[in-house]
Amino acid sequence: MLTRLYGGHIVDPVNGVDGVGDLYFEDGRIIAPPVGRTPDVEHDVFGHVVMAGAIDIHSHIAGGGVNTARLLLPEAHRAHRPRPANTPLSTAGWSTFETGRLYAQMGYTTVIEPAVSPHHALHAHLELADIPIIDKGLLTVLGNEDFLLSAFRDGESQDSVVDYIGATLEATRAIGVKCVNAGGVDAFKQNIRHFSLDDEAPGYGLTSRQIFQKLQQAVVATKIRHPLHLHMNNLGLPGNVETALATIDASQGLPLHLAHVQFYAYGTEGKNGFSSAAAQFAEKINANKNVTVDVGQVMFADIVTISSDVMKQFNSLPGGRPKKGVIFDGDSNGLGVVPYSYRVSDFFNAVQWAAGLELFLLVDDPMQVFFTTDHPNGAPFTTYPEVLALLMSADKRAQYCARLPDDVLELTNLPALKREYSFYEIATMTRAAPRKLYGFEDRGQLGAGAVADIAVYELQTDKAAMFRNAAYVFKDGNLVVRDGKVTHYTKGRTLRVRPEYDRAIDDRLDKYYDELYGLPRALFEVQDAALPATAVFAEVPCHS
Amino acid sequence: MVETSVEAMSNATLDGKSISSEDAYEQAAKILQAANFPLVAGLGADVAGAQAAILLAERLRGAFDHLASRDSLTDLEVVRSAGIFVTTPNEARVRADLALLVGSGLTGYWPAIFERLALDKETVHGGKTKRRVIWVGPKRGEAKIEGVEVETIPATEAELPGVLAALRARVGGRPTALSAAATKKLDAAAEALKSARFGVAVWAAAGLDSLMVEMLQGMITELNGTTRFTGVPIGGRSGATGVLQTSAWMTGFPPRTGFGRGYPEHDAWRFEARRLVESGEADAALWISAYDGEPPPWEDADIPVVTLGPPGAATKRGLFIAVGKPGENYDAVEFAQETSSMVLRRAKAPAELPTVAEAIAAISARFSEDLPC
Repeated sequence: MLTRLYGGHIVDPVNGVDGVGDLYFEDGRIIAPPVGRTPDVEHDVFGHVVMAGAIDIHSHIAGGGVNTARLLLPEAHRAHRPRPANTPLSTAGWSTFETGRLYAQMGYTTVIEPAVSPHHALHAHLELADIPIIDKGLLTVLGNEDFLLSAFRDGESQDSVVDYIGATLEATRAIGVKCVNAGGVDAFKQNIRHFSLDDEAPGYGLTSRQIFQKLQQAVVATKIRHPLHLHMNNLGLPGNVETALATIDASQGLPLHLAHVQFYAYGTEGKNGFSSAAAQFAEKINANKNVTVDVGQVMFADIVTISSDVMKQFNSLPGGRPKKGVIFDGDSNGLGVVPYSYRVSDFFNAVQWAAGLELFLLVDDPMQVFFTTDHPNGAPFTTYPEVLALLMSADKRAQYCARLPDDVLELTNLPALKREYSFYEIATMTRAAPRKLYGFEDRGQLGAGAVADIAVYELQTDKAAMFRNAAYVFKDGNLVVRDGKVTHYTKGRTLRVRPEYDRAIDDRLDKYYDELYGLPRALFEVQDAALPATAVFAEVPCHS
Repeated sequence: MVETSVEAMSNATLDGKSISSEDAYEQAAKILQAANFPLVAGLGADVAGAQAAILLAERLRGAFDHLASRDSLTDLEVVRSAGIFVTTPNEARVRADLALLVGSGLTGYWPAIFERLALDKETVHGGKTKRRVIWVGPKRGEAKIEGVEVETIPATEAELPGVLAALRARVGGRPTALSAAATKKLDAAAEALKSARFGVAVWAAAGLDSLMVEMLQGMITELNGTTRFTGVPIGGRSGATGVLQTSAWMTGFPPRTGFGRGYPEHDAWRFEARRLVESGEADAALWISAYDGEPPPWEDADIPVVTLGPPGAATKRGLFIAVGKPGENYDAVEFAQETSSMVLRRAKAPAELPTVAEAIAAISARFSEDLPC
């Protein structure tokens, strides 16, 4: 079926397009304007902005952490919406089903779950398989497990580490590698409560710096396209910008993605010893093109923090809002779930909010800074339209600033920043840049051959309203959203990488599991028979 | 040949008499569809079975509960009111230098417990040491683990809450009303807990109540002020933890959730299966117990009941449809106690029986079309 969207303002940074034009797609793919054919379906999208489907590079949408948060907070997701017809479980608050529905309605068509412990990959995939419409993928978390730390300590060859990463990506069906507080999660099990870049993981004689650098090198050597996705040390602490700057200095000129950097943009100025250091941080990012960052914007809302940085989460327990939480010392890994509420009247929260926006506005290149709230840690993903509106309007930011405590404004540069994001920059940050970051060839753009994942927004003065309810969303060419409502449910794919590696590592790993746990390693592998028939995987290519 | 026909005969029965599968699914669909507020209970099933069952409850605007919800909710009540420290049995196996076993009957709730925790072996991570094992409130003669010297703190079932409270008090240096001798013994245990490097408390919610689990977790929180301490919960029977997880991602809530108002509502009292049946609020029930055919908890059900269970568990009254045992007769995903994660159990004895999900799909396929979906 040939479909034409005509008269819309196409914003497609990958192909340098920013103007009114027609877009054609057929059989789930975008095609060049066909000569001499009449479209089967046409949509008049005059007065609309047409973009590729948005890609969320870091959002905690599935797995043990999210599910623990659901169980921890029955009060947070009481459902009260009326029930649309023909939509099983569409009324369940914060369910897998709702996740797909709400993302799709905003024009998102691909979302990556960024923190899955290898031994819990099956659980995460079961949830991902249950999320409708969108495509998805997950990052597997490495960097605190004995097998890897021992290999580094014992000076094993990089090749064997590359094989180990390949085997783990294969077993967990992941799209990339995340590292959380390298060495710190293991150190916490040994009763260490603070762990910085040059602290040593007990028993391994390796600093956090050494662990992440070796892992970063090995990830490059696997030829997977997504660089090491790093959650640095000292998240959330005053003065932690020093850790972030030192981490960038340690990044060896190799690709490195730093996650939710707003949580590391803190200085120690002012009477509370807490200030925004976003300007200094942004300058460093601008000067180091090997580094990409996502922001992890805070918005004033009740949220829950979900993190594999169990040390940080343990330290956050006394400040929980409400005061409760789950601290899980997992196999070679960790997880902490602690609820929180960001309040506009809270000095610290207001500084966090401002620091995030400063980072967005002070990092020059939208290919280098990614749009996230670290859902749900900084804010629920449902606040994205509001955040986008803040980026696009200095006036809107000024309105927010008027509500902040006075002393906050003295400790941030935000009121002085008049930059306003254009649609082109928004599309770069949420489509073109994620495409590059994950090495997607088939999405994040509207050129011929790309999947027909398309978001169409009606131009409005109220940018939040515009992005909240996409006028049309097409997923693989199927119309799935009309006027902000899902009209058709489809099942997306799960995206994964399969780098080449020497299978000899499998025997070593089998033996390791047998000796350590007395269990077959296969017990932890994600196998086809464990997943519903609707779980379809697609492979993201590696560098050649 | 005889065996095959016997098996075929036992696949579905109505009031104890064999009927065809086709008739059974037809009947089941009629019963459930005719109900104003049907109950999907038992839920002794694998993840796929639970998914099908919960979707069915939603479609029928009924409620669902698991046969071991009481145990899941005992721990969950503590999680959602205070929070919890937990680890996996395997992390305990490789790292825990002290195990505090709480309550009696642990090997009943988890037969492979001591094989998995390997308390007789030295720790592997965080330093190689022998383990210290303290058992609070074992039954007489129960506190025996091969190759392990078990210290015991005696407590009858009735005394256990008080002993746990006193132990927690002594960990925090607070006074108790116990005798000097009893206090001395508890002080020694408290000292051991505090000097553990990475201690774990092991308990089965089936043998405790929420206040006891909260007491235990309160103590663990205090211990984490100076050292590392965490917990290994033993989950409920018949796939309870896997169903709990599935229910959470599908509805946001644990079992004991109803869809009567058109959206999920969770209420541990209101949607308890037994109460719904005995009060007459539910007017039909689907009872699923695929692991072992455990019967429903209610008495005198005057409502039509459709049972899904293993072939041997045919009911004398009502409609019975045989299903395979998850992970035994068919490949199934369940939450594994030994790994504290979802795992695929390959069928050891494949059988020509429907899975729970297949049986539910067969019933749902026979609903008449006027049922809103």
